[in-house]
Amino acid sequence: MRKEVVICRCEEITEKEIIKVIKQGYTSLDEIKRILRCGMGHCQGRSCMTIIARILSQQTGQPISKIKFPTSRPPLKPIPIETLSNYSSEHE
Amino acid sequence: MNKTADVIVIGAGIIGAATGYYLAKKKLKVYVLEKRFPCFGSTGRCIGGIRQQYTHPLSINVMRESVQTFSTLSQEFGKDVEWFQGGYLFLAHSEEKKQTYLKAIQIQKEYNILVRFVSQDDCAKIINGLSTDGLLGGAYCPTDGQANPFAVTYGYLEGIKKLKGKVFTNTEVTKINLSSNKIKSVITNAGEFFAPVVINAGGPWAKNVAKMVGLDVPIEPERHESLVTEACERLFDPMLVDYRADGCYFIQNYGTGHFIGCYTPVPNQPGDNIKASSEFITEMPRRMARLVPKLKGIKVIRQWAGSYEMTPDGNPIVDKTPIEGFYISAGMCGHGFMFGPALGKFMSELIIEGKSSLPLDDFALNRSFGKAETMK
Repeated sequence: MRKEVVICRCEEITEKEIIKVIKQGYTSLDEIKRILRCGMGHCQGRSCMTIIARILSQQTGQPISKIKFPTSRPPLKPIPIETLSNYSSEHE
Repeated sequence: MNKTADVIVIGAGIIGAATGYYLAKKKLKVYVLEKRFPCFGSTGRCIGGIRQQYTHPLSINVMRESVQTFSTLSQEFGKDVEWFQGGYLFLAHSEEKKQTYLKAIQIQKEYNILVRFVSQDDCAKIINGLSTDGLLGGAYCPTDGQANPFAVTYGYLEGIKKLKGKVFTNTEVTKINLSSNKIKSVITNAGEFFAPVVINAGGPWAKNVAKMVGLDVPIEPERHESLVTEACERLFDPMLVDYRADGCYFIQNYGTGHFIGCYTPVPNQPGDNIKASSEFITEMPRRMARLVPKLKGIKVIRQWAGSYEMTPDGNPIVDKTPIEGFYISAGMCGHGFMFGPALGKFMSELIIEGKSSLPLDDFALNRSFGKAETMK
């Protein structure tokens, strides 16, 4: 088996760590995210969450179509504080 | 499967997890029932600040105990909970605010909290990049801090499992059966559970849970929103609190370097809507950049919302109830994560010994709710 494959690049979480948590009984993406921080970094899970869903599916036998994804939250991509504050109603 | 335990805890947030853990440590068989997954309610939406700067003596004492406990959790769990004593700095931009903090400091010092009022210059030294525009100084407590709410809550829950307890996720309580005036069983979508003791640690849903046994508790959720930025190099250690009507509070996460923060909306936003708003994600960055202009270039990566479960006086309800075996630990008013470890210990004493080592009278269910916390 591959040893150190990084799945969540932003938070540097490996396949091994993810499988370990699934084996502990955490079999939802929401729980895996909260325990390991995968999907909480710069890309907000946009690169890794589908890969984690596939690992979860392989480990537990749940079909991918039945796996619930964590809520996607704004902003769609990282936006600087200055850019956002220029839109504040206080400054209109 | 045998669904009988000594204690059923409703809710796997920090309150349920900590209370369940200290009961399990005292050899009780604990089942935690969680309608979604741990930290789904308020705990997982909070920003992880831990402070002793309160004005109510009971809150100060609870927080002294909590700070003590937080400092031992990484060792107790064998896992880093990212506890970091970076302090809290409350900024005073008006003479009125300064006087409020000076009075608070006087009370806090009676309880040996290491807190002091610091000058504008000192504030600028403590917070790298702080704008001192209109600043008169601040209330600074270096022994306040932060921890990771997920790591702490999951740590407690793992502890419960090791102590022969169980955590049931996706298990929503729909009904509580009484026999005369005593707890008999709890009905969920996953069947019936039996225990003589039930703890309502339902957070924003605590009022609904209490209704199941015919109790009306004065707990109403209000929406609070938060955001987090990308990680960056360490800029400053404390939670920076600006309590002006258009202020905000934020902290740099010790473990990861992300800035995480929120503000208290004016007017408040009662109700169970916890959708994120476009107003917040533009207004919060403006407020952050006003305080620390050098944050301008840092990117916001996520926003979300959660609930403060408010009581009329801004203090929690931690008590037994007129129903035998039914306890409540809820209405945390935004302080659940930091109060959690201490309240978990005290609640476990209340349940097992009939009273807690720190009297919780001011958090009683039947109090008058007249004396409000000024450092809400």
